[in-house]
Amino acid sequence: MNAASQNHAARLREISRLVDDRPSERIFQVDRRIFSDPAVFDAELRHIFEATWNFIGLESQVARPNDFVTTHIGRHPILVMRSADGKVGAFLNTCRHRGTVVCPFKQGRQKFHVCRYHGWAYDSSGRNISVTEEASGQYPPSFSNQNHDLLPVARLGSYRGFLFASLSADVPQLEEFLGDTRAFLDLIIDQSDSGEVEFVPGASTYTFDANWKLQFENGLDYYHFATTHSSYVDILKKRNATAGPDAGFTVEPGGEQEGQGSFSFDYGHAVNWSIKRTQLYGRPLGMDPARLDAVRQRVGSTRAKWMLRQRNLTIFPNLQVIDILSAQVRTWRPLAPDKTEMVSHCLAPVGESAAARTLRIRNYEDFFNASGLASSDDNVMYEFCQTGYDATSAAPTQGYLRGVADIGHGESAHTRELGITPSEWSFGPTSFGGETNFHPGYREWHRLLQHAAGETA
Amino acid sequence: MAGGAIKQTDVHAVAGATIFREARLLDSGEWADWVAMYSEDAVYWVPGWLDEYTTTNDPDTQVSLLYHDARRGLEERIARIESRKSITALPLPRTVHQISNLEASETGPDEITCHSVFSVHVYDPRVAKEHLRHGRYAHTLRREGDTWKIARKVITLVNDRVPTVLDFYSI
Ligand code: FES
Ligand SMILES: [Fe+2]
Repeated sequence: MNAASQNHAARLREISRLVDDRPSERIFQVDRRIFSDPAVFDAELRHIFEATWNFIGLESQVARPNDFVTTHIGRHPILVMRSADGKVGAFLNTCRHRGTVVCPFKQGRQKFHVCRYHGWAYDSSGRNISVTEEASGQYPPSFSNQNHDLLPVARLGSYRGFLFASLSADVPQLEEFLGDTRAFLDLIIDQSDSGEVEFVPGASTYTFDANWKLQFENGLDYYHFATTHSSYVDILKKRNATAGPDAGFTVEPGGEQEGQGSFSFDYGHAVNWSIKRTQLYGRPLGMDPARLDAVRQRVGSTRAKWMLRQRNLTIFPNLQVIDILSAQVRTWRPLAPDKTEMVSHCLAPVGESAAARTLRIRNYEDFFNASGLASSDDNVMYEFCQTGYDATSAAPTQGYLRGVADIGHGESAHTRELGITPSEWSFGPTSFGGETNFHPGYREWHRLLQHAAGETA
Repeated sequence: MAGGAIKQTDVHAVAGATIFREARLLDSGEWADWVAMYSEDAVYWVPGWLDEYTTTNDPDTQVSLLYHDARRGLEERIARIESRKSITALPLPRTVHQISNLEASETGPDEITCHSVFSVHVYDPRVAKEHLRHGRYAHTLRREGDTWKIARKVITLVNDRVPTVLDFYSI
């Protein structure tokens, strides 16, 4: 343990204290610095994104042998490939020779990836199959004894086709990491008779000039919807006056109490949801009564009921899965303290009807992304927040306390229905907009930085 | 021969007048006049990109950046901004459309197809930031009575990593 690492550990501990979480005193505060400080940003990349499980794609993106797709974990470029014999692998997308990105493409199918710089070649299992002119290279034994294959990620796992990878081996098993978020992934995956989901072709990428945690929070922020999206709500209400059965509207079973709630899970995850008698939008599963009946038969009426409720799931640190009028998978990549890149996909159950698929696509384009009528307002809002957070000497914000007076522990009617055991839950009227579902992400943020400090020291 | 040449000039003149007027109305925020240039069943389409070379080609099975199969979709976008409730319009960015490389040809009775390229300079006074959107337009114009309407517009956005907001006025 040298002075430099001691210093680093002390700095990490200091950063971790920017989240002030005192449950017994009902205090939860986040220092404004965590949205703008470059030192915090560096610590997050290294000790959060590059130290835990990240969502890296769907197995169905690499459905066939030699399919590949590229992505990132933190700063690291990642190449996900299915080998010739059908095994999915994830590798650092950097040549062993002198670092060139081996595959510069978004996606495709290739048996081999030949590095553009000096021609080293790798097969789709990541194995080096050629060191250009190796024989005449006058290499020392230290080279020949080295492995030249692409470096695999430390951990790779799949939950029903959702691929996660970690650059650190010091992580819990994927099943444990995901915990009860799996029940919410299931609610989407089981909308398919074959239990498969896919991305509809046509991903989009956009950026906003704000910190990634603005997106993390917003995806769990029910409170903002009526205000930020009022212009969109106006449009929906106007459309709904003339909506036919094709719009996919569904109704809550009688006797259900309206309200808005959330579940918090270990390792930073949370989901918020609502039960509403009057819906603002329909959904693909609702447009074909026969198909909805078949799904209900298969999964039971309770889970079918939850499939038709708004659910915004965050799997910390980089994934949100939204199931509303369409389904969206979005990931973020922090580029700078005040710049974030988003990649967004329309998620769909395999096997839905052509009409349901088209409604899903139209609804998705309508709502999401920089070009959608709702998410574009969010993006601008993040930038307004970022500008406001430049007031670093101002007192901490007051945005983490809705619901703190009445946090639920143990079972509730809703947890029993879903058979889950969240660490906390909340429930209130539809005007509630609880903020306690941000807490697990910040607790995991804090835990990972503390963990890193312990390790370094 | 001479007649053909004159006709060719007409087609080009109609196309140029329509497309440049559209750009001016977008930049000056005269959106009621802008949307009136579209036929009621107009298709307005900004395809997405599947990979480095290919754009989406079927809006019903693939996701587009924007897709409206009737003028109503554009009218909703205008109403949203004019309500002064959309955060994206508080304030609205200023834009300058520059269009060139115009080619136009008659592709049917009362139908003109034109190709052009665009650069849209977007300046956001909120944060004093500017960026450039660029790409290609393909317009289909249709004669309705005495006027030429835009029946279809396909916008291929070349730089598709979109900063913050993409809407009808900025492409
Ligand atoms: S860097 Fe890849 S072959 Fe040299
Ligand atoms: Fe939102």
